[in-house]
Amino acid sequence: MALRELSSLEKYLGLKKPNKYSTQGDKKVPVLQNNTGPPLVGLVTVACHLVKEAKRPELLGDSAESRAVVQQWLEYRVTKLNNCTKDDIKTILKDLNMYLQDKVYLAENQFTLADILMYYGIQPLIVDLAIQEKEQYVNVTRWFDHIQHYPGIRRHLSPVVVLRNRIYTSRHH
Amino acid sequence: MELIVSEGNPQCLKVLAALGLTGVQCPVQHVHHEETVVPFLSRPALPALLLPNGQHLFSANAICQYLFEVNGQDSSDLCRQWLEWEATTLQPALLQALHKAVLQGKGSEMSQILQGPLNYLDRSLSKGNTTYIIGEAVSVADVVLWAALYPVLSELSVALDEHKSVKSWFDRIAAIQSCKSAAQKVMQGKGLQGMKSYLQRQPAPQSSQCSDTQPCNN
Repeated sequence: MALRELSSLEKYLGLKKPNKYSTQGDKKVPVLQNNTGPPLVGLVTVACHLVKEAKRPELLGDSAESRAVVQQWLEYRVTKLNNCTKDDIKTILKDLNMYLQDKVYLAENQFTLADILMYYGIQPLIVDLAIQEKEQYVNVTRWFDHIQHYPGIRRHLSPVVVLRNRIYTSRHH
Repeated sequence: MELIVSEGNPQCLKVLAALGLTGVQCPVQHVHHEETVVPFLSRPALPALLLPNGQHLFSANAICQYLFEVNGQDSSDLCRQWLEWEATTLQPALLQALHKAVLQGKGSEMSQILQGPLNYLDRSLSKGNTTYIIGEAVSVADVVLWAALYPVLSELSVALDEHKSVKSWFDRIAAIQSCKSAAQKVMQGKGLQGMKSYLQRQPAPQSSQCSDTQPCNN
């Protein structure tokens, strides 16, 4: 899972030569074999490294504040979204829905790595949602649909159909 | 900007120590640990930092990183790696150990639960052979790991006998004045029992990896 994510991220970033990865432990934590130094361990650590390697620092946030917000959601991704229970899922979707009420992206108005990794992590939860639930978490669904249609992001994941006519004001009425 | 903290919560120890060390000017508000501060979260989450742009940070590690960055110290890859390890590997073990010790009265099981993470930290510290976790200056990784381990390592002298590098590193950070006074503010000298009401409000730790009956192999 994490390795496919990192490979999708590499493609999005346009990194030419693919990196070598392995995994570590029961939780299959990704490890990047680094030519120039010791290996880097952990999804967030490796993803931030790739972003810097691709010289796209804006994906980590363009101010100290937004960089902190990005790091916070990256941590949320690896601590809350990985291995969550049914009850956790409800809380996560409820909280995110509230958070995204007045935001386009996780770091306000700027598309960042937090959107990419949160999208990769939450996709399996959204796939399983019933139609009513998608309506219940309308802000999450709107954000999710936006990110899955963001150029070059979806890659290894299948698109999830969300009810566009409920979420966006339809032009066909 | 405002930092909101509560007593008996090691996550708050992280941010108060980081605030003292970096010297960032920010008013601190002390509240009860059940108070809802971050408007979009269903569970009370402390510490919280209200940013100048009106956003809330609810992750202690992100708050610490922010304070260090404002002070001109950006996180390196290695630093991020330690913070990620702390959040994903050390925290679940710590919560489980504290849960056992404080709520179930099984303090003797703490050192076994923490054996794996402490071995890893000890190996890294002795291999690196540096004064602090990353090099010769205190970094955000030192503060975060020290504060996370503070409640258990202040009680668990046995575990430290086997982890000499952890012990000398831990004592070095604990001797820093900002860390000392942060520990006094958050723990109030009450030891593990001072964390009881905070721990009671935390979700019970999942022991999917290590079941109660079988010993954990890592």
